[in-house]
Amino acid sequence: MSKHHLGEFEEIVMLTVAILHGRAYGVAIIDEIESRLDRKVSIGSLQTVLRRLENKGYLDSEFGEATKQRGGKRKRYFTVTNFGKQALQEAKDQRLSLWNAIPTIAFNPPS
Amino acid sequence: MSHSQYPRPPKFLLRFFRWYCHPDYQEDIEGDLLERFEQRLNSEGVKKARWGFYKDVLRLLRPGIIRSWYPHQLYHYTMFENNLTIALRNLKKHRSYAAINMLGLTLGIASAILIFIFVKYHLSFDTFHTDTDRIYRITTELHLEDIDHTWGVPSPMAQAIRNDFTFAEEVAMVTHLSDKLITIPSGQDQEKFKESIAFAEPAFFNIFNFPLARGNQHTVLLEPNTAIVTERTAQKYFSEEDPMGKTIRLGNRIDFVITGILKDLPTNTDRPQEIYLPYANLREYSPGLDEEGWWYSTNRGRQCFVRLKSTFSSTEVNQSLLTIPEKYYTEEEAQIWNFTLQPLSDIHFNPDLGGYVEKKNLWALALIGLFLVITACVNFINLATAKALSRSKEIGVRKVLGGLRRQLFWQFIAETTLITMLALVVAIILAYIVLPYVNQLFDLPLSLQLFQDIQLLTFLSLLLLFAIFLSGAYPGLIMAGFKPVQALKGKLTQQHIGGFSLRRGLVITQFTISQLLIIGTIIIANQMRYAQQADMGFQQEAIVMLPRPEGGISAMDALHNQVSQLSGVKQATFCNAAPASGLNPTTAIRFDTRTEEESFLIYLRAGDHRYVPTFGLELIAGRNLQPSDTVREYLLNETAVKKLGVAVNQEVIGKNVTINGKVGIIVGVVKDFHNKSLHEAIDPIYITTLSSNYGSCAVKLNLADLSSTMAALENTWKEISPNQVYECDFLDEQIAQFYELDNLMLRLIQIFASIAIIIGCLGLYGLVLFMASQKVKEIGVRKVLGAGVGNILWLFGQECARLLIIAFGIAAPLGWWLMQNWLENFTYRIKIEPEIFALAMVTTFLVATLTAGYQSLKASLANPVDSLRNE
Repeated sequence: MSKHHLGEFEEIVMLTVAILHGRAYGVAIIDEIESRLDRKVSIGSLQTVLRRLENKGYLDSEFGEATKQRGGKRKRYFTVTNFGKQALQEAKDQRLSLWNAIPTIAFNPPS
Repeated sequence: MSHSQYPRPPKFLLRFFRWYCHPDYQEDIEGDLLERFEQRLNSEGVKKARWGFYKDVLRLLRPGIIRSWYPHQLYHYTMFENNLTIALRNLKKHRSYAAINMLGLTLGIASAILIFIFVKYHLSFDTFHTDTDRIYRITTELHLEDIDHTWGVPSPMAQAIRNDFTFAEEVAMVTHLSDKLITIPSGQDQEKFKESIAFAEPAFFNIFNFPLARGNQHTVLLEPNTAIVTERTAQKYFSEEDPMGKTIRLGNRIDFVITGILKDLPTNTDRPQEIYLPYANLREYSPGLDEEGWWYSTNRGRQCFVRLKSTFSSTEVNQSLLTIPEKYYTEEEAQIWNFTLQPLSDIHFNPDLGGYVEKKNLWALALIGLFLVITACVNFINLATAKALSRSKEIGVRKVLGGLRRQLFWQFIAETTLITMLALVVAIILAYIVLPYVNQLFDLPLSLQLFQDIQLLTFLSLLLLFAIFLSGAYPGLIMAGFKPVQALKGKLTQQHIGGFSLRRGLVITQFTISQLLIIGTIIIANQMRYAQQADMGFQQEAIVMLPRPEGGISAMDALHNQVSQLSGVKQATFCNAAPASGLNPTTAIRFDTRTEEESFLIYLRAGDHRYVPTFGLELIAGRNLQPSDTVREYLLNETAVKKLGVAVNQEVIGKNVTINGKVGIIVGVVKDFHNKSLHEAIDPIYITTLSSNYGSCAVKLNLADLSSTMAALENTWKEISPNQVYECDFLDEQIAQFYELDNLMLRLIQIFASIAIIIGCLGLYGLVLFMASQKVKEIGVRKVLGAGVGNILWLFGQECARLLIIAFGIAAPLGWWLMQNWLENFTYRIKIEPEIFALAMVTTFLVATLTAGYQSLKASLANPVDSLRNE
């Protein structure tokens, strides 16, 4: 097993953060996941994952400016760290190598 | 976009979120929550948005998000330590305040503890049986002129229930008899004992949980002439010998072999009999107590207990009990007789059915306990708010340095807690010390087992919390609410700390409680004095009651002859009971030529021809009874004549009357006398020479040289009746026992009234102390400008006087109403006179003056130079 192990939801969250590139804060991430993957995400589950990833060093975050929206509360923008990028890359490579190892015959049976 | 026009998410949820969320995450997540809420609001409406918000908040409640509590505990601990230090310093600095508070709280809490165990003891009566909710006693109602309740039943009751009904799981008859002679035939010197005994059917022990220490639970009391006794009794009779198989003798006639030993009975039972005999022997012992198929008499000693099957409700059973009179009485009689169930839990508390104490009395006591605690807390609040001003600098500094309102509040609560806890500990110790005296004084078996008694522990914890918050919360809030700038500039005045009005209100409360208790005490004491000194209508002083000697009429004659010759004896009579007595047998009466029996029952006083003169009863018509051993002539009392519907007493003289089936002539009418306590009205009574019923000998003494007369009486009696136990009671003491419970209540209220007054005085003392220190300058200035000592005293006095008068305005009508209710318990009672209220007023006034006087005087005598020299 590799030292960077990413859970499925963790991977999705990181990818979404990368997609949003600089605009990734709580609600935006949820909206993005919901629209792209048609999948319900609660603030609770998203936030726990975000904090966990941040603790592991895959994500970094900083506060934005306060606006009049959101009751004057600042947004916390997340970005993927280099370490995070490595982990994502590794996950992708592992998947790919698995895909590549599937014999052609398994998914394309000869007719 | 302003939020105020738009629906907001539920505030409490937001607050909840802020409470649990990790502070580092709080801001942005809250923002997310709000944003989502707004999104939903726009797309789905208010309801869905709120619901979604609710779900989001709940789903955020997970380990990764919530704050970690550990570091805060550390922080709290240091704060706690700090609070404790400050609290201790404050206590040391203001020793007299601390002492006043502690003393008041200690007294209050100690009283509350004692009241709690007293009330708990009474509520626990007979609760240790199994399925107590299904155990009932069958009681008899006689629907005559009034409904007459008795807990005795006719002899065949249990048999009838067994034969006719299916509702009973167990039914048992039990007959209690008190003061019966028990001897130990095997003993060397024939020891004699007077005991309460019970004849019981075996099922009695299936209903009640009185376990055996030895013997077979299933065969107990099945065989005639067997007996079971408690361990204590066995120890008393046979000391270390094995009691099993030993013989005890009842009334010098019937022998019983002990086949079982009961474990010692708990004190909290209304069935205190320690000797149980088989029901089968009852008829042999006293045929009148167990008459087969005889439905026409009840006896208070003869009771019937049932345990219902769980499928029957008491209302159903009461309904089926209605068929008993239909079956066993004539149609007319069935109108009179009625039987109902009385729950076991009601027996200790129902005054109509021989209950010991009414629940409302217990609650009254509990209320007094609460009052005492409240009074003590009021002291605390008073002194604390008064003192608050002197702490304004401290609070100002704390606030400036970032102390939160909440923290200051808890700091003050910590101080209160410290004092209250100390008071609690001292109160518990005090309760332990005082309890033996309380038990002795009131003849109670109470015990205080702090660590085994969960209810007591719970009670104490709740009491502690109650006292802490009641006394600490208000001053805490006040102090925490100080504005720092004002506090530091010293610009706070009394107005900022609740002003005088609150403290006035509290002092009024205290005075009201004290005055209420004083009014109660005076009225109860007066009524007791009235009851005990009232003219009962017969002579009760210097009369001693002896048991009837063994050996028929000849023995009675012999005793009378010898006793009459004693120099200290004025007169003697044989009777079933003194004019006023707890023994009140009743029977039916038919007058003259009337065909029907009267609709009231008449009370028997069996007595020989010396009964009337010995007790000093007054004949108001006709003559006294002639000497006789059987029933020939009757005397009636005025009430009986009135109830017969005869207007003139003279008219009944010479008429025949049939009482208890025996025809006789009415020869005289006696003036009404009280035949029961003053709680109850005078009953219709007849007096006749029914010698078979005589159980006592009443001897009127010459009080000079009492001790030698008493000794001579005892010797004479023992010579004539060597096999019996000699007992003697003074009649006035017996009558005083009617008021045992009333006297108990009186003594309790006296004690608690004193405690309430002491606590109140402590508070007043503290308050005056404070006022004097606040007004030092004012007094100085006044004196310089020419005020005399009197003026200064008035300064203090008018305030106290005003509060007292307001309190009196509340206490007087309330006390009048409460005591009027209490007095309704007595048929013969005192009037509540205005003097009583005046006395209560004067008492409190005196006490208040004494308490406040010294400090006020000191303040007014102080030399103005001392107070004005420095500024």
